[in-house]
Amino acid sequence: MAADELADLISRVALKDRAAFSLLYQRASAKLFAVCLRILKDRSEAEEALQDVFIKIWQRAGRFAAEGRNASGWLTAIARNQSIDILRARRPVADEIDTALDLADPSPDPERGAVLSAEGRRIESCMEQLEPDRAVAVKRAYVEGLSYQELADQFRVPLNTMRTWLRRSLIKLRECMGQ
Amino acid sequence: MTSSDRSSGDRSRDEVLAGEYVLGVLSLDDRRKVEARIVLDADFAAMVQRWEDNLAAMDEDYQPEAPPVWVFPRIEERLHGRAAPATAKAGLWQSIAFWRGLATLSLVAVAGFGITTMRLIERPETIELTAALTAEGSGVSYMSTYDIETGLFRMTPVASGAQKEKSLELWLIKGKNPAVSLGVLPQTGEGELLVPLQWRDRIEEGDIFAISLEAYGGSPTGKAQGPILALGSTKLIRH
Repeated sequence: MAADELADLISRVALKDRAAFSLLYQRASAKLFAVCLRILKDRSEAEEALQDVFIKIWQRAGRFAAEGRNASGWLTAIARNQSIDILRARRPVADEIDTALDLADPSPDPERGAVLSAEGRRIESCMEQLEPDRAVAVKRAYVEGLSYQELADQFRVPLNTMRTWLRRSLIKLRECMGQ
Repeated sequence: MTSSDRSSGDRSRDEVLAGEYVLGVLSLDDRRKVEARIVLDADFAAMVQRWEDNLAAMDEDYQPEAPPVWVFPRIEERLHGRAAPATAKAGLWQSIAFWRGLATLSLVAVAGFGITTMRLIERPETIELTAALTAEGSGVSYMSTYDIETGLFRMTPVASGAQKEKSLELWLIKGKNPAVSLGVLPQTGEGELLVPLQWRDRIEEGDIFAISLEAYGGSPTGKAQGPILALGSTKLIRH
């Protein structure tokens, strides 16, 4: 999806331009449908979800420019969030916010963090620095919307181990890409 | 609480929570809690946005797949009702290449900004002036409409960025005359203002709309002082 063209179209949709909305659908629907399908793994649910996604795009387009996001990322985030919400409603998972975070890895030294961030590294090179199975777990969580429990089952590790894997991976990624 | 008040432990915890939210591993209930916090806590919202930007590289894994053809009519029906087929004039916006072409061709020299063309669209019920206001290198163009009947100028909401004490001011430039202020856009970020009566009937082909970043409340001198963020010139088009 060409970012400039998408950004233009979203800006027009913000002004309730229905022709622009139709064009935006033509440009973006295949990608966003892929997101819904990959996460929901059910065609009819994905078709319903895609409708909700475009209704949200219509309603929220006015906030796009102010948020300063990349157009393609903004659209995909709406589709991912919608699909993950449907998935979590269908198969509830345990709440996490109140569980203690096991973040025993040493906190990054701020000066070291500054040096790393100056390099402005991209996510790909930072993912390569994770242990391979953890990088795969991060990617599956993101791309497929898997829960901690589903990831634990797939990797045959205890739930708490998977939590620790992902949380430490997030900290390492944040350090690597700069605070 | 600002980020400087936060201990580094709290900050790592927040970074992890923001990352977990973007990865999608949280429960529905936790997702709602995180979203409530995004609204209330700008620092936390920035963490979430950074994770979204960072992790978006993995979006490449989604291989496009065309949805069934009935989905779009269904979306339109849900948005606009069954009785309202799309009547928008697709022709106007159809050629993005045309718009891009114009953006490149026109007066790039003016203050270093690309200019796109405004057009007057005549619809059966209203006459609107529509403009794409672009700034070179920003990738985003702000769309605007000016309703000649009511004098209401609307544009895509624009944040004045981190400089919250600043205001966005709308200017009209007629030929070689100095820019005239048409007003200050609301501080809420909503892009609407009523053009002063004395200017309502005087906006015509070739005039330029410009948005500048000014001191809070608008330029104190009545002349544009801040940087021009975006501008676009008018062209009359009849359909």
